[in-house]
Amino acid sequence: MEEPFINDTIDTTVLPKFEDVQLTPLHPSYIKVIWFNIALVFGIIAITAGFGFYYINDLQPYRIAISAGYIFIVLLTITINVINFKTRGFAFREHDVIYRSGAISINTTIIPYNRVQHVAVHEGPISRWLDLATVEVFTAGGVGGDIKIPGLEKIHATAIKQLVVGKIDNKQTKEEEDIYTSATKEDILPSEEESNNEGNQY
Amino acid sequence: MKETNIDFSQPQRQSLLGVFIMFADSLQEMARALFPIIVVSLLSEKKKFLFYAITAAVVLIGTLVVGYFRYRNFTFIIEGNNEFVVHKGIFKKTRIGIPLHKIQQVNINQNFLQRLLNMYEVEIDTAGSSKTEISIKAITAQYAQALKERLLQDGGKVKNADTDIISQKEVPFITVSFASLLKTGITSNYVRSFGILLAFFISTFQHLDEYLTYVNAKDSFINQYFNTQFLLRFVAFIIFMILVFTLIINLSRTILRFYNFKVLKQQNSLLLSHGLINTRNTIIRPDKVQMVTVGRNYFQKKFDVNDVKIRQASDLEQTKDRAKMSTEIPGVNQTEKNALLEFLLEKMPERGFAVKPNFRKMIFEVFKYILIPVGLLFAYTKLVPDVADVLYVIPFYIVFVAVLIYFAFRNSRLFITPDFIIRQRGAWDIDNDILAPHKIQGIKLQQFFWQKMSNVGTIKIYTAGGDVHFGLANFTQLKKLTNYWLYQVETTKKNWM
Repeated sequence: MEEPFINDTIDTTVLPKFEDVQLTPLHPSYIKVIWFNIALVFGIIAITAGFGFYYINDLQPYRIAISAGYIFIVLLTITINVINFKTRGFAFREHDVIYRSGAISINTTIIPYNRVQHVAVHEGPISRWLDLATVEVFTAGGVGGDIKIPGLEKIHATAIKQLVVGKIDNKQTKEEEDIYTSATKEDILPSEEESNNEGNQY
Repeated sequence: MKETNIDFSQPQRQSLLGVFIMFADSLQEMARALFPIIVVSLLSEKKKFLFYAITAAVVLIGTLVVGYFRYRNFTFIIEGNNEFVVHKGIFKKTRIGIPLHKIQQVNINQNFLQRLLNMYEVEIDTAGSSKTEISIKAITAQYAQALKERLLQDGGKVKNADTDIISQKEVPFITVSFASLLKTGITSNYVRSFGILLAFFISTFQHLDEYLTYVNAKDSFINQYFNTQFLLRFVAFIIFMILVFTLIINLSRTILRFYNFKVLKQQNSLLLSHGLINTRNTIIRPDKVQMVTVGRNYFQKKFDVNDVKIRQASDLEQTKDRAKMSTEIPGVNQTEKNALLEFLLEKMPERGFAVKPNFRKMIFEVFKYILIPVGLLFAYTKLVPDVADVLYVIPFYIVFVAVLIYFAFRNSRLFITPDFIIRQRGAWDIDNDILAPHKIQGIKLQQFFWQKMSNVGTIKIYTAGGDVHFGLANFTQLKKLTNYWLYQVETTKKNWM
């Protein structure tokens, strides 16, 4: 009960704090993907409802109520998604990756590189059109513990994948520090340079 | 026993008796598939004996033929000295190949039928993909032993040459006595058995109700038999019966599953064997263990029995498998428990620094388990006034749940030492999940927007053997702990598996 934690209290004050890390927001054009998804889902619902109103007479008295409910849900969805978009952010530290998301609840997930199983990059149809991609980081900890970062520039996404894969493969090598610095710079620099950097590294 | 020189590089078949096991297997599958039809035809009015006899005969013969072909077409071989391959299937041929070095463990089991025929089942577990799990249903003891040795020999992982199927000579590390099993049986799983029984009784009543309505006897029946006194006695009787049944079911379940529970220590792994009708053997390697849960309730504390659950690394996505990968050792006393923990975790875990939950945890749970359900029930009775009688249950429900919430809050703790994280939880059954920081796969911190003001939140620790949640607790503290654990994971030389 007494002595074990005393070490920790000294340690924890010196330890790097994940909460102080400046997170990189998602690419601004990812909001378009969100808009498109919302429009698609609610468009389909609206069309179905329209047909329903037209052909089913029994629905007549409920029209206003249904429409009001619909508008409420649309607004709620939009608010949640916009807040969520603003919350989302990521950071690749020297030893782990941090990802924050959520609107009603803010979730911050952290995965150390030495626990990563594999990394995947994929693009949806809209994302591809906008030249965006999603990076997924998997661990053996199950679905809930995985990280999925959408809305990254495609070049950036592949660079990140390379970075993490590199971290998994040669954890011990000294070079990783250089990779790290170049990678963290990428977050700020325009994409052209990043790709060149990464290209040279691998 | 050891000088078996079976050439596994040639295709091998199971023992001929395997036909019967395959047959029984197919029959079981068939019965399950045809169950509704069987029930319907048995209930139908016209009973033509001949028709049933012929159908049954056709099904039996058909299944026997299927069983035979399943036996014929099931072969296994070690190809090129590095891959274990199984071919099976009658119409749809399947080839399952597992590289030998991927084989994690080989279990030898025996169910009732297999015991009658003196056959054994060999189960091969791999790391990663649960879909390609192989089980060979019917081979002899020597054969099973030889196969197991051959399979594990190349991987060089477990050189357990002396993992005999039943090695009586060895002195077990732990033997769970029948008395301990009795103690465990009558003190555990109340909630689950109670739920099952309640569901059973309710559905029986519904059927009775339907039947009575059907034969138009309901009104007269009720008038004749139902008066208040009778009803009270009846309800008391039913509750008593449920309690008795709960005890009996728990007891028989525990004894069936865990009879003759033995734990053997072999080099650096544990070999568990147990079961009254089906004997199961499981190997546990400490480095694969992700989390150990020690649970007991008030009665079990008095009886000095603990329930130890060992969770090993399992395949990713499937939660079903994860449950399967948890191995239970029931009814161990304090000393045995400590010996087990010391062996599995390399060190006796201490409780250390305690993190307490915030009292808001209770508020949140009152919302979730009392206000919302009760509100919904009220709304429902407003819509359907017929069932308003149900509302009498509400006070009991509220008291019961409130007590549970309070005790769950009182027991909820997170203990931290540099070597271990222990999460304690539960209202009646108090579980302690013990894990070492280097088993952490990832950490998630969660905070709802209304929790920001009061600076509380939840932490979720992900391991390959399941998640550990703790909260609501002081968010600053949780962040500090997260930083500490991340530091531990990122600097450790130890692997999680």
